[in-house]
Amino acid sequence: MIRPSGLIAPFPKTPRAGMPMIRRCCATMGRVLLIGLVVGGAMALLCDPAFAAPQEADPDYRTLPFISSRVAIWIIAELHLMFAAFVLAVPMFALIIEYIGYKTGDKRFDQLAYDFTKLLSVSFSFTATLGALLTFGLIVLYPALTKYLVKIFSWTFLPYVLLFFFEAVFLYAYYYGWGKFSPRVHLFLGLMLNIVGTAIMFIANAWLTFMNTPSGIDELGNLTSIWDAINNYIWMPINIHRLIANMAFGGAIGAAYGAYKFLGARTLEEKAHYDWMGYIGNFIAICALLPLPFAGYWLGVEIYAYDQSLGITLMGGTFSWLFIIQAVLIGNLFLAANYYLWLSMGRIAGAERYRKFIKYLLAVITLCFIVWATPHSLVATVEEARAMGGSHHPILNVLGVMSAKNTAVNLLILTTYVSFLLYRRANKDATVSWAKTGNLVQFGIFAVVVIFVVFLGVYGYFVDAQTRIGLSQPQVFSVLFAMVAVTVIDIFLFRGAKKRGDIAWGKIPARAQYALFFLAITFAWLMGLMGYVRAGMRQHWHVYGVVRDTSVDAFTPTLGFAGLVVSITVIIFFLFIAVVFFLSGLSSQKNWVASPKRTRRWFRRAKPADELDAGTLSSDAS
Amino acid sequence: MKHALSIFGFTILVSAFYWYVSLWVPQKRTEPPEDIAISQDLTTDEMVAIGEEIVAGKGTCLTCHTMGDHSTTLRFPDLDNIGAVAATRVEGQDDVAYLAESMYDPNAYVVPGFVAGMPLVARPPIALTDDEILTVIAYLQSLGGTPTVTMATTLEGQGQSVAAEQAAPVAAGGNRDAETLFTTYLCNTCHSLDGSPLAGPSLQGVGGRLSQAEIYESILDPDATIAEGFAAATGTMGTLLNAVGFSEQVSAQELQSLVEYLSGL
Amino acid sequence: MNLLVLLVIVAALAALQLVATRWVTVNRLAWMAVWWVAIYLGLAYGINPPLPSSIIVLFMAIVTLALAVYLSADSDELASAVQTVTAFIVEKRFRVALLTVLAVLPLLVALKVYTNLSNPPQPPSSSRTIHPPPPASIIFDGTAIDLATANNPYRELEHTDPAAFAQHVENGRRVYFENCFYCHGDNMQGAGMFAHGYDPIPANFNDPTTIAMLQESYLFWRIAKGAPGLPSESTPWSSAMPAWENFLTEEEIWDVIIFLYEFTGYEPRAQGMPH
Repeated sequence: MIRPSGLIAPFPKTPRAGMPMIRRCCATMGRVLLIGLVVGGAMALLCDPAFAAPQEADPDYRTLPFISSRVAIWIIAELHLMFAAFVLAVPMFALIIEYIGYKTGDKRFDQLAYDFTKLLSVSFSFTATLGALLTFGLIVLYPALTKYLVKIFSWTFLPYVLLFFFEAVFLYAYYYGWGKFSPRVHLFLGLMLNIVGTAIMFIANAWLTFMNTPSGIDELGNLTSIWDAINNYIWMPINIHRLIANMAFGGAIGAAYGAYKFLGARTLEEKAHYDWMGYIGNFIAICALLPLPFAGYWLGVEIYAYDQSLGITLMGGTFSWLFIIQAVLIGNLFLAANYYLWLSMGRIAGAERYRKFIKYLLAVITLCFIVWATPHSLVATVEEARAMGGSHHPILNVLGVMSAKNTAVNLLILTTYVSFLLYRRANKDATVSWAKTGNLVQFGIFAVVVIFVVFLGVYGYFVDAQTRIGLSQPQVFSVLFAMVAVTVIDIFLFRGAKKRGDIAWGKIPARAQYALFFLAITFAWLMGLMGYVRAGMRQHWHVYGVVRDTSVDAFTPTLGFAGLVVSITVIIFFLFIAVVFFLSGLSSQKNWVASPKRTRRWFRRAKPADELDAGTLSSDAS
Repeated sequence: MKHALSIFGFTILVSAFYWYVSLWVPQKRTEPPEDIAISQDLTTDEMVAIGEEIVAGKGTCLTCHTMGDHSTTLRFPDLDNIGAVAATRVEGQDDVAYLAESMYDPNAYVVPGFVAGMPLVARPPIALTDDEILTVIAYLQSLGGTPTVTMATTLEGQGQSVAAEQAAPVAAGGNRDAETLFTTYLCNTCHSLDGSPLAGPSLQGVGGRLSQAEIYESILDPDATIAEGFAAATGTMGTLLNAVGFSEQVSAQELQSLVEYLSGL
Repeated sequence: MNLLVLLVIVAALAALQLVATRWVTVNRLAWMAVWWVAIYLGLAYGINPPLPSSIIVLFMAIVTLALAVYLSADSDELASAVQTVTAFIVEKRFRVALLTVLAVLPLLVALKVYTNLSNPPQPPSSSRTIHPPPPASIIFDGTAIDLATANNPYRELEHTDPAAFAQHVENGRRVYFENCFYCHGDNMQGAGMFAHGYDPIPANFNDPTTIAMLQESYLFWRIAKGAPGLPSESTPWSSAMPAWENFLTEEEIWDVIIFLYEFTGYEPRAQGMPH
């Protein structure tokens, strides 16, 4: 057995936080080969006894100047993850939108799907480059850990590289083949792209979830079953959680692209189109956001099932304050999403009728936000603590627990749904004979479900912990039931409804677009934060309980430091995204024409000056 | 361009805001647990002190268990009076036996009203050694009782920890072959197999010269008989074998296979 | 809950609403300001015991965000709010008010800086517990002492043998002035000659919330084990109290406890009463 010297469990100490690990990668064809070479080379290196023998000479860690190895890998891995999430998410909804366009024959949908896909090719290359950088980084900076993981997972590399190759083929066929194939063939290409992309993510997820909840190995870290190592406790939950989260993230970035194009749009048609794109992107993001807490709940359950102390470290120990930050982020997401919907109602004739409800919806959201963000243990000065008679406040204590927070989340989801419902019916008047009854039934369902959810929340205080945890499920299902039932009624209720007016796409204030950016940034930040806690909960382990972190970075940093790294990562990511947006926009630019008066900077559109001025004026006037 | 710049500014603003939020919460940096050296001649008080440290640190016991929390909604048994109640939990088990069982086989008995779920603390990732568990028991006994356990106490279930396993890999099947042993314990640095004398006599044809019993003796008590011409090396082999951990680590089976291997030379 | 304060706030809001619908138009900006102040007052003064300031900051940040969202969720309202602010800045009739605001704002900042600096430095906020729950028992000199049931063995002498009890008081006085008074002071107000150097300051035994509400066994624990014996739940602690078990005998500790109660005139809390 080749054991990384000094790394296996009972040797010296260390923790580790936040080195998000080998992640899913994607690459252009050339880069596929590149990574193949790297991985193959690494494997060859490890198998060659000439290299394996002089183990003393191999350091477990190498360092970088100016920046700690962990932070370097952390940032690269997170950037890689964000791009990969985007690249995997876009084909999912591009395919769905294209399919809608194909079924309805509405050309706009086809165009929208193409607009989203345009963002793909550059992002794909970025993802691959970052993936290669990550691989190099791990081999160079964490040789012993990499060696161990390669030993465990060597079987998975070949399918991974092959899938990569197919991903590239399908992606470019899907993108360049737009309109070149029959719709069915093209849809099939899109489907294959999604399947291959998902498979790639599943493989890479196996590597990193193994580090959290290692399975399929004996106590000394030797592999006993590769399938058990892949199918470890949190592999499937992470797969599902990431699939959904990718959708939300991809939708938000797509919406940000729409917002960016909207702000720069010069004609009304452009404005209308990109307003619509932003709206669809936001819609996708919010739809994906709603089931995310449930997927996260499943993930949490599996972590507890693997090792209770790992779960408690996550939720009750060092990281409990991280979930207060998470509450702030998600509260902001809900607030911004509702805000965007309310502003969107401005483009619909007849929406004025519903304006008066906004303040009540807002009040509920604020209240739920406050409950969710209330910490369980408080920060208090000595005098304050004295006044409270201890470190717990008698009233806040009630809000800081799971019962209250679950209730708050469910009500948040329901409120957002109501906002959407109001948006949906803004310009419609039901004409069916049972309109009044229908409305009443919908209202009744809401009332009953809200009362039920609140009742379960309160009831949770009077039962033991085991029962209390069980209560969250009926809460979730009643909310899901309300949303489905009300939607179904609504569809029939507004069949053949009288329209008060059309939706005036493009008639939306600029601050709504900034709300979309806010959503995208918040999503990215949230992703960075949760990536940190996923990696950080291993504390002083590389592979929890198996390979100990003996490097100088073994400690778990403060949340402020983690927040700084996440912020920097997010800013770098959006710089990259700006490049992606810019490059994606190039194809629709007019061709360069030599002109004697061309003194503008090279990336401006080569438009006649008067047209440009008019365009600038019109966009400013909005 | 104007928009791109203001959007970028907005991005920095929002990111900085979230950074501020992350600075607003309590800042705590968690260091990796220290390894605590345990010698065999600890006094009871020292054991209690070390046990307390392990309970709060490496053992991660306080992640789940509380000390002195008497509310009714506990998810794990409170420990503040464990020294007094340990002996009363299971009929026929005194407090030491009970505490030992609750660490080596925690789910054999679950306190009524609680759910089984305590990890095996002797196994990774917590991986307490037998000595550490003794100090933990001493500490737990001191909570409401008087420690009776000493470093010499033997407990039901000892020998499960990974450290013990590495010291005696036999327990896990003992399958290192003789040739591996021959190089692992550096026999080959002093004994050649080709007849050339090194620091010790060559082992070429040793099976013809010595019986298996004599080979056993030469390994286990190297100085009992010194080969001719190697009187100057008296004591070396025993010292070296101890230094490389031979006597603690090699199992009876492995020793036998080594002897068989040598007698076949 | 401080119902009276909450009622007053709600009544004030209702009155304003009445005034606003009947007589004057109050635009949304003003309403938001009113709501902000009302919620702040409610959080700061309407809840008893008062919320820690960190929580008020968190809640008010959320409320501010929500109010900003509400203000800008309606383009017309936002426009009128912006107009109001613009008018205030631009129009001549507000000139005096504007100048006043411009003058007062930096003054407020200065005032804040001044008050912050002129306050004595505060220890950073923490979740430190001042009187942590004691362990069930401690080991003193090799024997376990059960803190829940331990009694001062010399306390009963107060009634049975006053002369012997006086002996113990005298012995306690000696111990106190040989060891304790440097920090806890000659009149036990926690103001001894070294006291100003410590954070937290030494306990003031005249304070009715210290020894007057504790059992003697609790004092025994704190004296014997000192700061090093504080449980981890009360970390981060920074007490300079030594562990006196290394310097005093068991009898000396009980004696000094008797002396503390004699000197301050307090009675120890009886056994069996919960903390």
